[in-house]
Amino acid sequence: MDPNKKTKETPRENFSDTGPGSDQISDRVNDRVTPLSRRTFLKGAAAIAGSAAGISGCKPTGLLGSTEAFALEFQEYFKKHYKLMTPEEQLGTVSRLERLAKLKDQSDIKISTRQAQENVLYGYAFNVTRCEGYMECVKACVKENNLDRKSNTQYIRIFEMEHGKMSPDQGDGKFFHEVPRPGHFYMGVQCFQCQNPPCVKACPTKATWMEPDGIVVVDYDWCIGCRYCMAACPYWGRRFNWNQPEVPKEAVTKEQHYLGNRMRVRGMMEKCTFCIQRSRKGKLTACAEACPTGARVFGNLLDPASEIRFVLANKKVYRLKEDLGTDPKFWFFID
Amino acid sequence: MHLFKNSLVRILPVVVVLFFGVTAFSAGPGINERIKQAQTPYDKKMDPPIPLPVNTVKVTLAYQGGTFYTQTRKDQIERFQCSSCHNDKEVMVQNAARISHADKQVVHGGPSGPLDCNTCHSKENRDFLTTSNNRKIDMDHAYTLCGECHFRQKKDWVGGAHGKPVSHWAGQRVVKSCTACHDPHSPRFAKRWPATYSPPFK
Repeated sequence: MDPNKKTKETPRENFSDTGPGSDQISDRVNDRVTPLSRRTFLKGAAAIAGSAAGISGCKPTGLLGSTEAFALEFQEYFKKHYKLMTPEEQLGTVSRLERLAKLKDQSDIKISTRQAQENVLYGYAFNVTRCEGYMECVKACVKENNLDRKSNTQYIRIFEMEHGKMSPDQGDGKFFHEVPRPGHFYMGVQCFQCQNPPCVKACPTKATWMEPDGIVVVDYDWCIGCRYCMAACPYWGRRFNWNQPEVPKEAVTKEQHYLGNRMRVRGMMEKCTFCIQRSRKGKLTACAEACPTGARVFGNLLDPASEIRFVLANKKVYRLKEDLGTDPKFWFFID
Repeated sequence: MHLFKNSLVRILPVVVVLFFGVTAFSAGPGINERIKQAQTPYDKKMDPPIPLPVNTVKVTLAYQGGTFYTQTRKDQIERFQCSSCHNDKEVMVQNAARISHADKQVVHGGPSGPLDCNTCHSKENRDFLTTSNNRKIDMDHAYTLCGECHFRQKKDWVGGAHGKPVSHWAGQRVVKSCTACHDPHSPRFAKRWPATYSPPFK
């Protein structure tokens, strides 16, 4: 359950629900909101929400659960694009989302707005010689990024390819048998975080962009779900939420990032973000940490002493569909 | 004059299209250029700082001008110190089966030159490993021994193309030891079922 989707539907439902005693209710709304309005970022917005609730005469309980949830959702509905928010506004929306998750699912999530570091540009290298097709990376990715279990959304796909083949469209992307299979190698694809990303150019609402550290991210609340980016991506790197994502409550990863693994809603694009919630803290991505064979190398491309730079300098590397000029920051290499 | 105007009108759209075409597609320097230009060392410190994991040991080899750490091994071995059994004390016969290493199958070295226990384990001092020219090697620094044969892998491990860091790309570099991933007695990865599967394309 994501609070944001509801914000887009609920105000309308409530405006139609006019009833007596609206003044009285608006007082109650304001009372309930008071503890929150002590925080500076909520001050004005809470008052607006309160008065709006008064005009509409919404009930304190009902579909929304509580008036506090309604006030928070009301403010969420009218928030700005993430890039246009000041740091205070970013913290405001994050605290609203955290509070909403607490109110609705009783879950204590922590959403970060950690910014990109200077002199960091993330890059990835994948060793096709070492990968054995164990799929531990896919499992870890689904867990870490709170991916929808109902439709079985996965950011990573591992292709089983015959020796001599080079392109994943000649491989088997849905193998399930004992691995490694003789005469085959494995090639993992995901979002390649292009430095010249065609998906960003295709987006009509600027809901997707490249961060200074090279990660292409999506503002899930600004995405209109037109899927132009999905069509523009030559690597099948983006995923669309056809249904409301479902994650078992106990399996939700609580350490989240606004641009990363926070809960998505139906009708939004999502994609691999190099585990932005982990990598910006200095950790490896979930896939790289889970890999049992060490086939995945992650690091800072601008650090001449990094492991990824060693791979680029000393190994035979290639990129997928390099001729398209998308400049992906994801290399494949052989030992 | 009229002719000049006419030609100008014809040329102008072409010029406009060319100008905007060039500006629209001139993205900044490519990623390879940026990598080539980035030669100043990056300060890998993070805020908050990343603590050094416990049970690490400094690797005796230099890494691109710096130092790095790897996981210890001795504290992972069930019955270390080895010399607590491998000494002159007598052993009860009924305990022999339990404390011998009869369960260890050595699948290492291939059919051309299979290894036995004493290829790597020192006969003189059981707490140590030994190279082919009788150099004693501490078990925490087993990579020195592995690298005797697998020198290409050792070079890649030191550089970062083989093996993997324990948990962080930033901070002090701490990589997994050889034996964290490979069973030294049977180093090849086993054939097994994948952890999950991918659904068919829609």
